[in-house]
Amino acid sequence: MNSGTSLNKRRLLGSYEKKHNLIGFAFVIPVVIFLLMFVLYPVLYNVWLSFTDSSLIKKTSSFIGIQNYIKIFSNKLFFKYFWNTCKWTFWSVLGQLVLGLGIALLIARPMKGGTALRSFLLIPYVVPAVTLALVSKWILNSDYGIVSYWLQQAGLLEARQSLLAMQGPAMWVVVILNIWRSYPFPMLIYWAALKSIDGQIYEAATVDGANKWQTFVHMTLPQLKNTTIVLAVLRVIWTATYYDLIFMVTGGGPSGSTTHLPILIYQASFGSYQIGYAAAISMILGVLMFGCIIFYVTRSGLTED
Amino acid sequence: MTNILVGILIAVLIVIVGFPLAWMALSSFKPGVELFTIPPKILPQNWSLEWYKQALGNEDVIHYFLNSLFIASVVMVADMFIGTLTAYGLTRFRFKGRKVILISVLAAYCVPPIMLMLPLYKIMNTLSLSGSHVGVIVAHLTITLPFSVWLLVSFFRKLPKEIDEAAVMDGASEIQVFTKIEMPLCVSGVLSTGIMAFIMSWNEFLLASVLISKESMKTLTVGLANYISSTHIDWGIIMALGTITTIPVIILFALVQKYFVEGMTAGAVKG
Repeated sequence: MNSGTSLNKRRLLGSYEKKHNLIGFAFVIPVVIFLLMFVLYPVLYNVWLSFTDSSLIKKTSSFIGIQNYIKIFSNKLFFKYFWNTCKWTFWSVLGQLVLGLGIALLIARPMKGGTALRSFLLIPYVVPAVTLALVSKWILNSDYGIVSYWLQQAGLLEARQSLLAMQGPAMWVVVILNIWRSYPFPMLIYWAALKSIDGQIYEAATVDGANKWQTFVHMTLPQLKNTTIVLAVLRVIWTATYYDLIFMVTGGGPSGSTTHLPILIYQASFGSYQIGYAAAISMILGVLMFGCIIFYVTRSGLTED
Repeated sequence: MTNILVGILIAVLIVIVGFPLAWMALSSFKPGVELFTIPPKILPQNWSLEWYKQALGNEDVIHYFLNSLFIASVVMVADMFIGTLTAYGLTRFRFKGRKVILISVLAAYCVPPIMLMLPLYKIMNTLSLSGSHVGVIVAHLTITLPFSVWLLVSFFRKLPKEIDEAAVMDGASEIQVFTKIEMPLCVSGVLSTGIMAFIMSWNEFLLASVLISKESMKTLTVGLANYISSTHIDWGIIMALGTITTIPVIILFALVQKYFVEGMTAGAVKG
């Protein structure tokens, strides 16, 4: 190629790029408008609602300052539900990360039918929460549930009793169900991370006489540190705000033992119609999550090219 | 030795993952007497379709099914269309504010439905969209669109830019580059993303339950959730309905798995 055409090419691409940038913006306009209208505006609107006495059963509402917040913090039950949220989130996230990593280690090794196995193990990711809820209510049914039957036979449960009706165990049941439906995501991410670790470091370690456990602790785990942190933060956001499963399995009961903040927000909104108050609770949850979101967005490395 | 241990662990996993779903499907084929025998038998002694007949004979159920199908399909198409435009714009152009938009989309992906529930409910009321499927579709887009954009961005990033440049040199316009070159290259990626959006919309419960109150307008998940929280639970019908709700999702997911795995591992979390 002679210098004339190369210069020509550069000029052509240069002017192309300028015009190009405006057009580029045009491509993203629909999404920008949508996010402004239906994500950013609702979030801001929620902030405003939290300072009003807005209700679903009266037409007018007025600004009442931080009274909703005072009402929340002077309610002892709020702290109980907040603590439930912490328990639910901590154990769910810990469980799914440990299980996800464990399974990833298991399936990262080459084996016959490995892809099919991975596909099968991903299924819970798309099983509707309502399906999981109805199955668990069925297998834990006090009279006819198969798991209840096994537990009753083993003497771990009295006749005609169900774990879902007991205050302590109910929380563990929903946590375990939640781990069942959410481990595939960490599994997939860990699986990809394990694949990307250079195999040579293991060879070197084996030559140096390290056993499997040592190579895992000293070589594999440190390489997964960043993945784990980012993953944990993302899962905390999803879990702490996740409503469907608890609502459908226990409805927050028995006697509030599985009520967490999302359930409380729902009850305040559509149970007692105090949406100003509900908005304030969701602001508290939102502020906590906001920190996590900022952390995730900056640390995930996803916005780099 | 390790191989045997790994084998056992995998077998246990398969049982734990498969049991709840298999138990639901098996229960749905058991006639009433068998459903309530103690001790429960694993396999139905007399396979019966009576629960499916009852479930599908109910007019509400047919409505739920069609509503879910309609909403999820519209969400899927909208996601594919808007998502592709956005991902193309974000990966192929370097305009001012591009980074801000990338970050906003990722942040929007993290905004949980419970935070949007109340304001969306109020907004849909104001726009007179509450009780209509349009409201639910918009609500589902707030969840699926950021996800779709991210998945698609990871697909578009992989396509070499040189092809675009070569086409421009040959005198192609931006629109032509988009429709003639990029689109055919990522049809499978776009379609898989759309199907994932379909699944997410099909499975969604909270927003659909808040925005719709009329029985004939409800989605499958909402209708089903009502059944399981009622005082008298018709277990056989519920097991049949659960199976009907879940099977399409698993089939669709099986179709797009390959792309989903590629997209998620490239785009969801970078360590």
